[in-house]
Amino acid sequence: MNLVRSELLKIRTTSTWWIFGLITVPLWALTALINWLQTDALASNNFGDVPAEQADQIQAAQSVDSLAANVYTNGQFFGLMIVMLLGIIVVTSEFFHQTVTTTFLTVPHRTAVMLAKLAAAAVLAVLFWLVTTVFNLAFGALVMNSVDLGSQLGSGAVWRATALNGLAYLLWSVLGVGIGVLIRSQIGATVTGILLYLGGAVGAAIAISILAARWGDWINDLQVLVPSLASSLMVSGTEIPGNPPRWAGAVVLIGYAVVAGAIGTLTMRRRDIS
Amino acid sequence: MSDGQWSPSTGQIVVSGLTKQYKNVRAVDNLSFTVESGRVTGFLGPNGAGKTTTLRMLLNLVTPTGGTATIGGRRYADLTDPLRHVGAVLEASSAHKGRTGINHLRVICAAAGLPRSRADEALALVGLTPAAKRKFKGYSLGMKQRLGIAAAMLGNPQVLILDEPANGLDPEGIRWMRGFLKGLAHEGRTVLVSSHLLSEMQLLADDVVIIAAGKLIRQGPVEQVLGSMAQGGRVRVRTPQAEELTVALREQSATVETDEHGLLLVSGVDAPAIGRVALAAKVELHELTPERPDLERVFLELTAGKAGIR
Ligand SMILES: Nc1ncnc2c1ncn2[C@@H]1O[C@H](COP(=O)(O)OP(=O)(O)OP(=O)(O)O)[C@@H](O)[C@H]1O
Ligand SMILES: [Mg+2]
Repeated sequence: MNLVRSELLKIRTTSTWWIFGLITVPLWALTALINWLQTDALASNNFGDVPAEQADQIQAAQSVDSLAANVYTNGQFFGLMIVMLLGIIVVTSEFFHQTVTTTFLTVPHRTAVMLAKLAAAAVLAVLFWLVTTVFNLAFGALVMNSVDLGSQLGSGAVWRATALNGLAYLLWSVLGVGIGVLIRSQIGATVTGILLYLGGAVGAAIAISILAARWGDWINDLQVLVPSLASSLMVSGTEIPGNPPRWAGAVVLIGYAVVAGAIGTLTMRRRDIS
Repeated sequence: MSDGQWSPSTGQIVVSGLTKQYKNVRAVDNLSFTVESGRVTGFLGPNGAGKTTTLRMLLNLVTPTGGTATIGGRRYADLTDPLRHVGAVLEASSAHKGRTGINHLRVICAAAGLPRSRADEALALVGLTPAAKRKFKGYSLGMKQRLGIAAAMLGNPQVLILDEPANGLDPEGIRWMRGFLKGLAHEGRTVLVSSHLLSEMQLLADDVVIIAAGKLIRQGPVEQVLGSMAQGGRVRVRTPQAEELTVALREQSATVETDEHGLLLVSGVDAPAIGRVALAAKVELHELTPERPDLERVFLELTAGKAGIR
């Protein structure tokens, strides 16, 4: 517990957390605007002609639960990236500023240090999720009322999505810590993390749809293996036809987080600090 | 000390057969030495001799390829409250640039389970209180070094290990540190200091451990290591009648050399004998100084040919 306190104190006594907090605000506003427009469009049903095979996907997305889940988890796209970067920095700043020597002198038990770092990053991520969610509850109710669907705050699907969103924040911060251990260079780890997140979402989606066109639909199910797609799948409000089930997304993401955290901890145990 | 198995008399450091093989270099090669409590021990060696690597293995930061290193009979990793037993200052720049000095110490206190108040006390101990709330990036080199010492003193340890602590200190700072470390040793603590500043070491250290190319060259009390060298017993003589004195001394089968300033360096006879020879020859003397062998000369002689950079 001392260790987690110390790790949180490390975060609090530098400016990184509030700078990232400030960056999050305009990104949140941007996605809020997009989500509002999208919700408005879906709710008023003005799509014109839609190819038959996409019709039931759109219908699912149009369901009230899905719309609500989407607005109440607004900001997720960039929020997950931010907490992942914070997780990366929790580790890499120790190497960047050479404080890792002091850290391991203070506590030679390196596994304990790594667990404390994972915990501290997770606490920070949950705080980011909490604040974002407070904003979302206000914004979401506004949007849902503006399209005459009612706030939907009584709906189980909304709260389930919100909770899973929190889980996603937590898991991405753990992934960040793992990336930070594997790539000690602050810049290297940050760039890799962002590429993995953004490139993973866009690049893999494109690659998979190309492969699916060539070898058949089952390849589509593989998109659940891409971390960022897995997490968006996990928090989507409803089961969307043609997509893998939501729990698969959760399992995949937890798997990645556990593997990253474990590899990170084991590497750190062996590494020479010189 | 909270740890039952620890007693001041066991603040002894024992390095035994310690070896570290990096990909291309054997940084430390079957090194063995001991460091006693109640004394300042200077850890000397040319650049690349393996001093830092040895200290880092002692502190469980680098894994040895072979051998052991213990402090008070135990490996660093096995100490329950390491900071309460051992304080270490390893490199000047080891704090987050954007964190204030006091917060740097508080972070360590939190992790080590030490009371927050220790941070203020340690800062006062090294005279950094006025800069407590300044960020680390605004510290001068000497201030960073002092912050490192403050961090090492947080747990009021029995054993202190310092890697080049004099780096970046001004003359006043160096004198302060000399007094500080001697004071700690006087209280019965173990002080192990690596350094390049041999003249400073001669003033500071009671014992020395000299290594080169990862191997032990000499270990022992400073006086003993100095005395072991043959070049002791030279006498420096300044006189306006150098030639006459040289002739007279050579008659007494002394060896006389002249240095670039015209000073005579006499060996084979002692200072009183030179004085008598000069008196008999009616030669005027302006200076007559027996040369003490100094650590620098001994060091260079001992490590000659075992070049550091590998
Ligand atoms: N992480 C490392 N990987 C490879 N070689 C290393 C590593 N650390 C040190 N070395 C090598 O080990 C040798 C000993 O280095 P070390 O830093 O221990 O010397 P030192 O006595 O502290 O030197 P200095 O007086 O310059 O500080 C050097 O040849 C160095 O190049
Ligand atoms: Mg060194």
